[in-house]
Amino acid sequence: MDNSGKEKEAIQLMADADKKVKTSGSFLGGMFGGPHKVEEACEMYCRAANMFKMAKNWNAAGNAFCQAARIHMQLQNKHDSATSFIDAGNAFKKADPSEAIKCLNAAVDIYTDMGRFTIAAKHHITIAEIYESELVDIEKAIAHYEQAADYYKGEESNSSANKCLLKVGAYAAQLEQYAKAIEIYEQVGSSTMDNPLLKYSAKEYFFKASLCHFIVDELNAKLAVEKYEEMFPAFSDSRECKLLKKLLDAHEEQNCEAFTEAVSLNEFDSISRLDQWQTTMLLRIKKTIQGDEGDLK
Amino acid sequence: MSSDFEAYEQDFGTLTAEITNKIGRIPKLGGEEKTQLVLNVDKQLEEVRELMEQMDLEVRELPIQSRGMYQSRLKSYKGEMDKLEKDFKRSRIAYSDEVRNELLGEDAGSSESQLIKLREERAHLLDNTEKLERSSRRLDAGYQIAVETEQVGQEILANLHTDREKIQRSRDRLRETDANLGKSSRILTGMLRRIIQNRVLVFVLGAIILITIILAIYFNRQKAFFWSTLRQCNEELD
Repeated sequence: MDNSGKEKEAIQLMADADKKVKTSGSFLGGMFGGPHKVEEACEMYCRAANMFKMAKNWNAAGNAFCQAARIHMQLQNKHDSATSFIDAGNAFKKADPSEAIKCLNAAVDIYTDMGRFTIAAKHHITIAEIYESELVDIEKAIAHYEQAADYYKGEESNSSANKCLLKVGAYAAQLEQYAKAIEIYEQVGSSTMDNPLLKYSAKEYFFKASLCHFIVDELNAKLAVEKYEEMFPAFSDSRECKLLKKLLDAHEEQNCEAFTEAVSLNEFDSISRLDQWQTTMLLRIKKTIQGDEGDLK
Repeated sequence: MSSDFEAYEQDFGTLTAEITNKIGRIPKLGGEEKTQLVLNVDKQLEEVRELMEQMDLEVRELPIQSRGMYQSRLKSYKGEMDKLEKDFKRSRIAYSDEVRNELLGEDAGSSESQLIKLREERAHLLDNTEKLERSSRRLDAGYQIAVETEQVGQEILANLHTDREKIQRSRDRLRETDANLGKSSRILTGMLRRIIQNRVLVFVLGAIILITIILAIYFNRQKAFFWSTLRQCNEELD
């Protein structure tokens, strides 16, 4: 097949490039043809890496890109080096996630050095996604999302920052760090409230914040709901708010069935499905009711 | 004579019977038949009147003794005819009982029809309820779709906001790059000018040096000539 031919070519190129770099190490070569040789070697590494990509040999492609990036660093081409690292990271994503993360981290460091925080933030998000999906390390993912959000805030892109913060909030709530989640959701909710484009999403954020309050303590939830209604009149009209009130009542009466009923068939769920996160939270609240009933006994 | 009168009496009897019969039938019928009957009855009444006149003449021709009896009979026949006429007039404008029955229907008549009506009403009501349920189901579905649309709209709006910020940032960066490019192009033109200046300077200096060298050689030559002439003069003097 064509691809295997390409692969052989690529391996050949790599070998040539290696030789070039080695020869340029000697003094004489450094004097006369040094820079040109090293640049040429760099270019050859890139070409070899592209060919590996064509042949779907992601590991080799990633390695080639990494080599190219290191040479760029030697030549003090920070931009090119960072781009090569990113390419290496993309190639490794498909094969070896941890290598990818290493490359991406290196790239992010270079970008933050240069002061390009937006693009660094974007790559933080990529790293966090890898942690989320492939390596399933939620803590680290949260850390990276937070970094990304901070960078975005620094660059005044509040929407992107909010996007990251929401993810942080969702995971924090999953990991039972409710205070953090509540803070995040309230913050996001109040900032989107004013924006005419985003105010229709604000009620969802307040709903999530109230759910988190609810898990912690019922009284908190009541106060919170009132506070939100005050801040944001449209919230009280929404179906989410009505559902919350029903849940509060059901919780007061320690009535498990009313709770389930309010959530499910006849009411909220039949009209708009609750997503995974919300169902988990509601389940936890429900367990607290049942737990209380158990305690009373 | 009396046989004539009796024949007239018999005719009168049959005619009046027929007239009464027809008068009884008139209210029940309507339209064509009614007008025909009415005409018939009219004719028969005319015939009855002629009969009466003839009976009158007959009675006058009778001897006085028997006149009384026939005259009384004649009077009663006249009375009957009057009554028939009156009845006839009334019948033409009266409604009969049967028409009334037709109009108001057989309600008092059958409970059977009542049951049928009840069943029909029930089916009608069930139909209505079914329709209401169908409409409410459709409304629910519509509401669901509206809510989903709203959610999709929310996401789209959030995306738009992000994109808006990205575009703004790119635009700012572009302006910065533009300014930088302008600066660099100015620096380059400055460099170019300086290079030209330097080159001109180099040429000028080179020219000056060349001229100085030529002058030096020339003056050297001149000096050499001058010294040689001076030495010759000295040798001549000596």
